[in-house]
Amino acid sequence: MTDLTAEVTAALARSVVPSVIARGAAVRVADLRDGIVTLEVTGSPGAVFPLASRIEALIRAAVPGITAVRLVTPGAGPAGSPPEAGGDLAEAARRVLDTEVNPAVAAHRGHVTVAGAADGWIRIRLEGGCQGCSLAEVTIRQGIEPLLRARLPAMAGLIDVTDHETGTDPFFSPEKR
Amino acid sequence: MTRAGTSMAPGRSAAAPRVLLLVPARTYRAAGFLLAAARMGLDLVVGSDGALPLGGRPVIPVSPGDPDRSARRIVARSGPVDAVVAADTPMLVLAAAVAARMGLPHNPVEAVLNAGDKSRQRQRWAAAGVDQPGFEIVPAVAPEGRIRDAAEAVGFPCVVKAVSLSASQGILRADDPAAAVAAARRIRQVLDAARRSRHEPLLVEEYLPGPELSIDALLAGGGLAVTAVFDKPQTPDGPTFEETLLVTPSRLPAPVLAAAVRTAGQAARALGLTGGPVHAELRIDDRAGRPRPAMLELAARCIGGLCSRALRFPGGQILEELVLASALGQPVPAIGPEPARPSGVFMLPVPRPGVLRAVEGRADAAAVPGITGLTIAIPVGQRVLPLPDGDRYLGFIFAEAGTGQEVEQALLAARDRLRVVIK
Repeated sequence: MTDLTAEVTAALARSVVPSVIARGAAVRVADLRDGIVTLEVTGSPGAVFPLASRIEALIRAAVPGITAVRLVTPGAGPAGSPPEAGGDLAEAARRVLDTEVNPAVAAHRGHVTVAGAADGWIRIRLEGGCQGCSLAEVTIRQGIEPLLRARLPAMAGLIDVTDHETGTDPFFSPEKR
Repeated sequence: MTRAGTSMAPGRSAAAPRVLLLVPARTYRAAGFLLAAARMGLDLVVGSDGALPLGGRPVIPVSPGDPDRSARRIVARSGPVDAVVAADTPMLVLAAAVAARMGLPHNPVEAVLNAGDKSRQRQRWAAAGVDQPGFEIVPAVAPEGRIRDAAEAVGFPCVVKAVSLSASQGILRADDPAAAVAAARRIRQVLDAARRSRHEPLLVEEYLPGPELSIDALLAGGGLAVTAVFDKPQTPDGPTFEETLLVTPSRLPAPVLAAAVRTAGQAARALGLTGGPVHAELRIDDRAGRPRPAMLELAARCIGGLCSRALRFPGGQILEELVLASALGQPVPAIGPEPARPSGVFMLPVPRPGVLRAVEGRADAAAVPGITGLTIAIPVGQRVLPLPDGDRYLGFIFAEAGTGQEVEQALLAARDRLRVVIK
């Protein structure tokens, strides 16, 4: 590990990783060249992407040699890039969601769409009552992910790219305790 | 919660530990526990009063208001598990009931009920000699004169509290007898709106001036393993008691902190708690010329809301990992002795009733040096209520800095850059 990579890793651990983990995701340094650091976000990065500019500001402030920060998901392009069109895996996932998941989540005013797929990783976006719902992570990790794994053996992983914080009609909203 | 030791449940092959996680529908904590379980490689069974059955892994429908029936259903459907964990307050009693039926080590149901009722807490602590404010319990059927008598007995100012609510909901300070009676009437309205029992008594207790703090810990072997102590430097003097600013580590003198931890441990044991997370709130009463930690409240759970995001643990662990490890009887890593980097959270209170239209200035607030996160927790368009009626906060601001004072300054500066629009 280079000194610069070590500095970025330390800055991540100090100021970024805890809040990323708490949002249901994980982050690591995937690449660093020419002052541009690429961070790989796994888990539920949809909760993290809205923080991209803040994460970049924190790392650039902590490590002066860094000029830019990119967030990527495994097997996908940079965060915010257009969803890939088509693809067997994406289409197969879409069929499973539409036949086995969406009829059920409709009971909670929700809908799940495929945002893209690449290298076995499927990206989904939750909408309606699912966006911002306090049980969205339970729905994904206990319901959607194992169902897709059972139906689609080629699936390597499932990524939630939903910006849950901007959901305006979550079926369940959390309460402070 | 706990299955001490490392052996597996009867009838199970050696594999990843299997944990039953009870998740209430309206919690901030689901994602944290699911991520923690994934990082620990646990086999998770979820029980919830809100999750949809999608045919993936077992999600058992439960009703926390009917713990006996739900416990029977869980025992019939979950299969053997190594530990039962409640993700948040509404599932605490059910988790204890399930663990009792399964023969797993856990807090007794009675202890969890004690911790969930502020009048039971006061009585237990009085019997055990735990330092706390003077108090009177006024039954629901008592005439209003009893509130006046109780307030005069504890002295003014006093605090009138609902015994079953949390998050500072249903708590009002009163400075004279008429204000105490008015506070009781108002709190009865809050209880009605929250659909609580009409038979619930009210607590009238002495108002303690002095610094307030919260202690979060894991209880094991009769002792507290402290995970965080938060100072609450801006806790108001009333009439309502919004929790806003929390900064850790505490800047109180070490002997005072040690005494506070001892008091919290004594209070937990007096309630009958034997394990799992504990969140204690205390005030340091220094009216007698020496600091005396006094118990305000204690809950058998982690710190609420998103506040745990402000915490840092060795190896990048999150609080939920420590809770699950503790539940499985696994060793919990030592948190000290070196102080953690100062961090904190500002909980944004609801300033007035209405419909939330916008929270403006978020980019400016997030740009304040030291700010590490800002989350608005209530969707735009939802109706909001301030204390003492409401039980939700608009959002959370997080900060880290070189000193606790810098953390506090960063949080307050960020707060000042936000403009909450409620109509």
